[in-house]
Amino acid sequence: MDSNEILKLEFTALNIRRNILRLIKAGGSGHVGGALSSVEILTALYFNLLNIDPGNPKWPQRDRFVLSAGHKCLVLYSALAERGFFDKSVLDTYGALDSHIPGHPNMHKLPGVESNTGALGHGLSIAGGMALGFKLDKSPARVFVLMGDGELAEGSSWEAAAAASMHKLDNLIVFVDRNRLQISGPTIEVMSYEPLDERWRSFGWSVRTINGHDMNSIITNVMQAPFEKGKPSIIIADTIKSKGLSFAEGKLSYHYWKATPEEMKQADLDLEVIENQLKEKYSKEHQS
Amino acid sequence: MNELIDPRKAFGEAVIEAAQKNPDVVVLSADSSSGSGLTNFPKLFPERHFEFGIMEQGVIGFASGLATTGKIPVFAAIAPFVTARPFEMFKNDLGYMNQNVKVVGRCAGLTYDQLGSTHHSIDDVALIRTIPGVMILSPGDPVTIKKSVHAMISHVGPCYLKIGNPKMPVLYPENIDFQLGKGIVMQEGKDVALIGTGTVLSKAVGAAMLLEQKGISVRLIDMHTLKPIDKELILKAAREIGKIVTVEEHFIAGGMGSIVSEICSQEFPAKIKMIGIGDFYASNGPYEQLLGKYGLQPDQICETIIRFLNTE
Repeated sequence: MDSNEILKLEFTALNIRRNILRLIKAGGSGHVGGALSSVEILTALYFNLLNIDPGNPKWPQRDRFVLSAGHKCLVLYSALAERGFFDKSVLDTYGALDSHIPGHPNMHKLPGVESNTGALGHGLSIAGGMALGFKLDKSPARVFVLMGDGELAEGSSWEAAAAASMHKLDNLIVFVDRNRLQISGPTIEVMSYEPLDERWRSFGWSVRTINGHDMNSIITNVMQAPFEKGKPSIIIADTIKSKGLSFAEGKLSYHYWKATPEEMKQADLDLEVIENQLKEKYSKEHQS
Repeated sequence: MNELIDPRKAFGEAVIEAAQKNPDVVVLSADSSSGSGLTNFPKLFPERHFEFGIMEQGVIGFASGLATTGKIPVFAAIAPFVTARPFEMFKNDLGYMNQNVKVVGRCAGLTYDQLGSTHHSIDDVALIRTIPGVMILSPGDPVTIKKSVHAMISHVGPCYLKIGNPKMPVLYPENIDFQLGKGIVMQEGKDVALIGTGTVLSKAVGAAMLLEQKGISVRLIDMHTLKPIDKELILKAAREIGKIVTVEEHFIAGGMGSIVSEICSQEFPAKIKMIGIGDFYASNGPYEQLLGKYGLQPDQICETIIRFLNTE
């Protein structure tokens, strides 16, 4: 993929991380760890891969994105705002009474949200039903899902996995944000579903594993989906929880972050560093 | 004697009729279509029937997703497995998401008589009525089962329809005026209002006949829609008669009797007797005998009402 385009997406990912901080500044706290680990995935989806129209969010032929791990809503709100589904000032209402952006997404409150998730293990079934509906209508629309790796312990996820394979839903593309941490500790210690690739393959899925922060890899792989005709595709994205915040990366305690003023100051500085790195990369590419 | 018809047969025929009229109607099965009177559906509409095997939680989610694409999914299976088991999916994926899905609990109440408490469904109304926006239908004869199916498919929004299993008597002519949310006054009366629903409506009808023979005038009401319930009809009975008896094959806690009591206690207190099942796991055995064990046969209902009327 064109390196200029990738760099542009990386700048967008930075803006989305800034939107996430804006939400935390408004609400004081939130599920930041898993939101930051999936920024590149949502950036690639909302700014390159999804066939959507922010001006017409209910367009019937649109691709769907289901955030099965609904607690990662900060990244969804940030991506939707960045993409122009609603004014960014909405982000400043996080935590307020009757806000349109609750701690788990509500499709009736905000344009661009496709399902009311939050209770884990629901999203894949809902997305499977959408994909089945598109198959029935012979629609070219596709359905994308983001699941958490901790979420995979919900048995209902595997009901959906079996059914999606049985019904040959090759218009269904799932990301697992494998940041390897959940509230009580490392996912492999709390309730391991490793090896994920073998498990999904045994459920009839076509599986790939990528670096979930590598924009080029996310896009290139999705463009090759379905990886096998007649099978649903899953991308196991290896990520770092709280990616982008120096003090929080890979740390369990930032699953849900109650930000201190000092931490927030550092977070802003961290994103400035990322911005400078991207600018440097940009000037190098344009010199050469 | 009224004609006896399998409620599942009436249900299945109505779904097929609805599917013939409306191409958006699809059926989802958790290894449950054949037991739900829908054996012919996949033969007639192979593209519109989706088998999932025994995974009720998953099916509710799939139904929700299908509904977001404009389909009208009908999902019928054994009542406890579409209500109590996938309750959170019902609440979030259908209720909270407000999706146009029709969930049908068959073999509801005690009608899976011999199979014991895992297969009885005497808590479904109590559970599902806590979900905002979900319509609950509990028709009491084969004619109104068919009418309920057509009405719920025309209605846009999540619905729960409960039906039984044993053959049940036809209580209504085909041209009965059936409207969602409107109870049917089957007989006028002035001494007591008797409200029946679902599988034991016919028992309430029998009890009303016995009471009339004893000179007690009964206003007999079929409450086929439990949510939204016909509040006006209940309050009218409270105002005009002041004595109300409810009959249902359901826990007393949380069922139709509770709904009626909640309305009356808030708006027009009346004397109320709730006939149903107490706070215990129901036993197993032949269906009619089980109903008798819990006081749901016509002569028992009649006696309970006489005692109720005599305790002023």
